Amino acid sequence: MKKHLFPFAILLAFPFVSNGQGILGGNVTGNFQIDGQTSKLDTVIGSRNLPEQMHLNARGDILYTNGNFSAGIRYEAYLNPLEGFRAEYAGQGIANYFVSYKTQDFAVTAGHFYEQFGNGLTLRSYEDRYLGIDNAIRGFNVLYRPYKGITLKGLIGQQRYFWESRGLVRGVDGEITINETFTALQEAKTRLTLGASFVSKYENGDGVNINSYVDGFKLNLPNNVASYALRMDLSHGGFNLSGEYARKGADPNDLNGYIYHKGEALWLNASYSQKGFSANLQAKRVDNMGFRSVRTDKYKETLYINYIPSITKQHTYAFLSMYPYQTQTSGEMGLQGDIIYNIKKGTLLGGKYGTDLHLNASAITALDRQGIYLPLVDSTMLDAPGSDGYTSKFFGTGDLYYADLSLEVAKKLSTKVKLTATYGYVIFNPVTEGHEGDLHHNHVAIADLTWKINRKNVLRFETEWMGSDSKYDANIDDKRCGDWIMGLVEYNFASAWFISLSDQYAYHDGIGNYYNISVGYTKNATRLQLGYGKQREGIICIGGVCRQVPACNGFSFSLTTSF
Amino acid sequence: MKKIFFTALLILLCGLVSAQNAKVPENVTIKTIDGKTVETSVIKNNGKPMIISFWATWCKPCNRELNTIKELYEQWQEETEVKLVAISIDDSRSASKVKPHVDGNGWEYEIYLDQNQDFKRAMNVVNVPHTFLVNGNGEIVWQHTSFVEGDEEELYEKIKELINQ
Repeated sequence: MKKHLFPFAILLAFPFVSNGQGILGGNVTGNFQIDGQTSKLDTVIGSRNLPEQMHLNARGDILYTNGNFSAGIRYEAYLNPLEGFRAEYAGQGIANYFVSYKTQDFAVTAGHFYEQFGNGLTLRSYEDRYLGIDNAIRGFNVLYRPYKGITLKGLIGQQRYFWESRGLVRGVDGEITINETFTALQEAKTRLTLGASFVSKYENGDGVNINSYVDGFKLNLPNNVASYALRMDLSHGGFNLSGEYARKGADPNDLNGYIYHKGEALWLNASYSQKGFSANLQAKRVDNMGFRSVRTDKYKETLYINYIPSITKQHTYAFLSMYPYQTQTSGEMGLQGDIIYNIKKGTLLGGKYGTDLHLNASAITALDRQGIYLPLVDSTMLDAPGSDGYTSKFFGTGDLYYADLSLEVAKKLSTKVKLTATYGYVIFNPVTEGHEGDLHHNHVAIADLTWKINRKNVLRFETEWMGSDSKYDANIDDKRCGDWIMGLVEYNFASAWFISLSDQYAYHDGIGNYYNISVGYTKNATRLQLGYGKQREGIICIGGVCRQVPACNGFSFSLTTSF
Repeated sequence: MKKIFFTALLILLCGLVSAQNAKVPENVTIKTIDGKTVETSVIKNNGKPMIISFWATWCKPCNRELNTIKELYEQWQEETEVKLVAISIDDSRSASKVKPHVDGNGWEYEIYLDQNQDFKRAMNVVNVPHTFLVNGNGEIVWQHTSFVEGDEEELYEKIKELINQ
């Protein structure tokens, strides 16, 4: 019961902090979300019969703020968790609570908090409700600004693991914006920010029995594992260069197969932009950088302390995002570039209203990993538990994991009609999702047309085609294989309603026919959506909002509101 | 049982205090597009109305909303002196693309980055796009989630209602 005392303390604290105005002096805001679904068995798309007929996820956040003081609480219910969410979520209760006091130079939070150091290479606690990720840290978080342009942070706590808190994480971070700290540089065109972070986790390794590559020998596991990172951000007018470099100590865990190889990650971003044109180039190298607070954890989404950003473009059209690339924390090299160009109106290519171009390309490969000679067994082995695992050259590359190229052209044809045409090419390696198999090469073409008949009546048509060299194979059961075609019609009316019909069909070398009908109503910050049909697992964007959905065959509804 | 009691009590308290318009919180840490750390108290428009729009580079309807308003913005500003403040919720995967994205699209809005999504949580934003209309006293007078073409006209009517009060 002890853990429930904390919310009561928050409640008790309310009258004391409101300076005698009572609770009426503060602000109470919040939001609610309820998502439900039914599902029937469909072996083709991979949906199942739900034993309870219906699944439901619901949550409500209440926030109280009064001057420098704020407090919040979140109630969550998974009765039972929607398809795609872990069974461990089943149940309901208070999942998150905090109190926080914050002034210009000082802030302290007790309870659950979300925090990020730099780009997250050493630490990022965050939540993504549609993906079922919530690694909020429960503990204390302090921020202090001793001088202009200098920010120091410190934290300690445990990470959320479904309905428990696990592990022990400590960290400090410092950042200095040179132009603010040194008054003489305040107006300088060149701006520089530097930062550093240090994060460590504690987990008792004594008495934990994990076999090494030598028969009969157990691993001597470290109780503390540390990581650090250095970062910079330099800009001059339209030019920007930023980067972060991180290292991690020996951290044998389930994810890396219990090797002692040190972790390393480098992330670089260079960009130039001016009005109507921008170019961006990113490079990344990640080597054994998965950092989590419990070494035996096997889930993809739990107990991560750090975050390795994927540099590939986040596509949102159905067929371009059919193979979303997942960062391989064990190791990868990547390059990505973007160009955005706005052809001015009144020119030959720009036409009457101008044309927007967006070009994107990326390529991600494995590291060039070589096994190491182990004298105790007199052989060369790769990833032997208890060894250093492998060696890799910094600039060496291995197999291709993923590559894409896309060109999007958006053009207003008249005051009422707007067309976006997209061509994309995606190469996908099934190894990144843990299966063997040949590379998939997919060509994708998309036309997206919006016709605003008048203010209260808007039609949207979307048609997509994907041609692939992959064929559906029942042994591998990758339901995305083959050639696909899709159509969608969406009608928005009376400023509040929409109805949409869509169908995705594998017409060659594939299986599956995903049809869907959705109706939605939006009024201010309240939105209700009902759907019926077959839903593919993945990101969908419909009626003005994008979200992640699990495979489903039946009815679904979603209600969100903020106040 | 205790938990249920507590939740009920909290909801009851909400009823007591929600009669007034919620204010935009002033002490949440965000970043300017140049990477400078600031508090949300910098989001101001000299007592004139303000639009606060939460968006992300990867969000198609958000881009449609901000591109649609782009063509009307000059006229809106002349007629009502309204200012649009666009808060990017892009995380470290795409945060470095925000400035190129804004410049490439030619947006003239005031842009901030909410990479840790502290401001998003403080404003109870569930999905993007989520657009707030704020009066000269920093109070939220209207909000709307999602965007389809035509929604900008409703927003502009609300702005005009606000300045004619």
